[in-house]
Amino acid sequence: MASMWKKNVGWLGTVAIALVIAGCSKAPAPEPEPEPEPQVEDTRDMEAERAAREAEEARRLAAEEARRREVERNRVVSILSERVFFDFDRSDIRSDMESVLQRKVSVLREYPGIVLRIEGNADERGSNEYNLALGQRRAEAVRRYLLSYGLEAGRFSTISYGEERPLVRASNEQAWAQNRRDDFAITNYGRLDSGD
Amino acid sequence: MRAAIDKALLLLCAASILMPAAAAAQDPERDSIPSDVRVGILYQPSFRPGIIVPPISTTDDMQELADSAREILLRDFDFGDRFQVMRVGDDVPLEGPVNYNLWDQMGAVWLVIGALEGTPDSPVLRLSLHDVVFKLLQDVQAFELPSVGDERMRLVLHRASDRVTEWATGTAGMAATKIAFVGHGSGGSEIYVVDSDGYNPHQLSDDNSITLSPAWSPSGDRIAYMSYKGGDPAIYELSLNPGRSTLLVDLPGLDLTPSYSPDGKTLAFGSTVDGRTEIFTYDLSQRCCPERTTFARYSNSLSPTFSPDGKRIAFNSDRLGQLHIFVKDIPDGSPELVTPYIYDRSVHNAGPDWSPKGDRIAFHGWVQGQPQIFTVAPNGRGLRQLTQVGRNEDPSWASDGRHIVFASTRHGYEGLWVLDVVSGRIRRLVRAAGARLPAWSGSLDSPSHFAEGAAAGSYNNR
Repeated sequence: MASMWKKNVGWLGTVAIALVIAGCSKAPAPEPEPEPEPQVEDTRDMEAERAAREAEEARRLAAEEARRREVERNRVVSILSERVFFDFDRSDIRSDMESVLQRKVSVLREYPGIVLRIEGNADERGSNEYNLALGQRRAEAVRRYLLSYGLEAGRFSTISYGEERPLVRASNEQAWAQNRRDDFAITNYGRLDSGD
Repeated sequence: MRAAIDKALLLLCAASILMPAAAAAQDPERDSIPSDVRVGILYQPSFRPGIIVPPISTTDDMQELADSAREILLRDFDFGDRFQVMRVGDDVPLEGPVNYNLWDQMGAVWLVIGALEGTPDSPVLRLSLHDVVFKLLQDVQAFELPSVGDERMRLVLHRASDRVTEWATGTAGMAATKIAFVGHGSGGSEIYVVDSDGYNPHQLSDDNSITLSPAWSPSGDRIAYMSYKGGDPAIYELSLNPGRSTLLVDLPGLDLTPSYSPDGKTLAFGSTVDGRTEIFTYDLSQRCCPERTTFARYSNSLSPTFSPDGKRIAFNSDRLGQLHIFVKDIPDGSPELVTPYIYDRSVHNAGPDWSPKGDRIAFHGWVQGQPQIFTVAPNGRGLRQLTQVGRNEDPSWASDGRHIVFASTRHGYEGLWVLDVVSGRIRRLVRAAGARLPAWSGSLDSPSHFAEGAAAGSYNNR
């Protein structure tokens, strides 16, 4: 135990020296000095090399971690952003949309800090004003579904855009089917952003 | 010509009576009209008395104003649909006493003699209305005009033509009015305003967001509307002079479809309750106390519109599983269905607007999957379909209770159109993609309206 401690201190010492040297080397143009003795330079080189290796390793690990986080973040964001579609003039959850919502439930349980805005939308066919109410019902339907799995109410806000923000600007059944939907905006990324 | 029109109308009626059956076969899900109710486009063939406005006499320095004033009067009388505007050449003798026999021979019933007096800084338009048939002076008034070049000139002249219409028919015209509507904007949509004759369209709001559902205050100097500019959709109020927007009501959730009571003291609007929409009233004089007036769990109530006495509202609700128009007393009172319930159909009736005369409620309902304009009495009687070409939506009554402005795609262009429900005459008001949700102001002739305009020095806000 004691020897390990010593070893650690020694190691830390070298790192500290290496850091000091590294720090010095970055200092603005020092006055020209006589060439240092080759032996000393050698040791410093070795230490610097080791420090560089370690730094490289740390960078690699950090990059790997960042990549892992990136992949995880993309997974979470893509699951949470998956749209939920509705039938004409309906706001009840379609059975084929439950799997989408189930994926959201598990991700939301995994990341309790995430906060979502659920945005209800309608196709262009109904009246402009009624579609606002319909979009609100669609947002609310998904919010209720998520709450029914015990997720906290404070994590969800709702808004309706009626028919004002179509996904596809066309007047046919395919476009309408795409436009009758809930979008999801992540308003707080929780620990996806805080980084632990 | 008259015979041809009658024949065309007959054909239209026949077609529209036959059509529901055919429609039911094609698409049984999308109809607002029961197949056993006969709804035809039936307009009364009405006599429009001839009116003549000879050139207005004036001095040389105001000739241009005199000519444009006459054009405005003539167009107002034409658009008002109460007169047959008759054109006369400049060679008709105007000197001396009125030659009633001459005008009578030309077929005129009314004669408007105008004289522009005063100076270009303070012109005065003297208008006299003569009854050609009974050979007498019906009425006369001197209208003080703003100085030449003032932006309020057109509105003041519209006001004069509305008075002349009132002398002749007993009810004022609707020329001195404006129409607010929703049009494209940088952030989605903005509120626009246009004169009743299609002149002077301009953008009023500058929200760079989604704005919807403009509604005029009875005084005509403010417009309530819905905007997303604050993030949470709320009701704002735009003053016309200058065009400034202030927050009016912001309850949790969506606040939508505002409507002023006729006395201007109450605002009715829709707001979110447990994820659905209910109608609230808000005390505008106290600036407080939103109070819920509809109670229908699991369904939406929205788009309120007041009866002229302010005691009832008509509104839109899906409480029966179909979208219908209801009428109820406020604050308490149970909703009564106004539009016909059709068993086993997906009915879509929306956008109600109560006529300022009180006798009809206009709305749009689906026929073969396309919205068309209808009117119905507040007790649910006398359903009438008024349009059948293209999509026709969101009707709003003029102050005269006989003209309706609505959004339409007829003839392949989006725009706003004006329909005379008595004669069936129709004219385009605005041709613009995305022009929708029109709201017709009341008569803009209150002294306060003009005083404010004068104080601001400019009628145009942008």
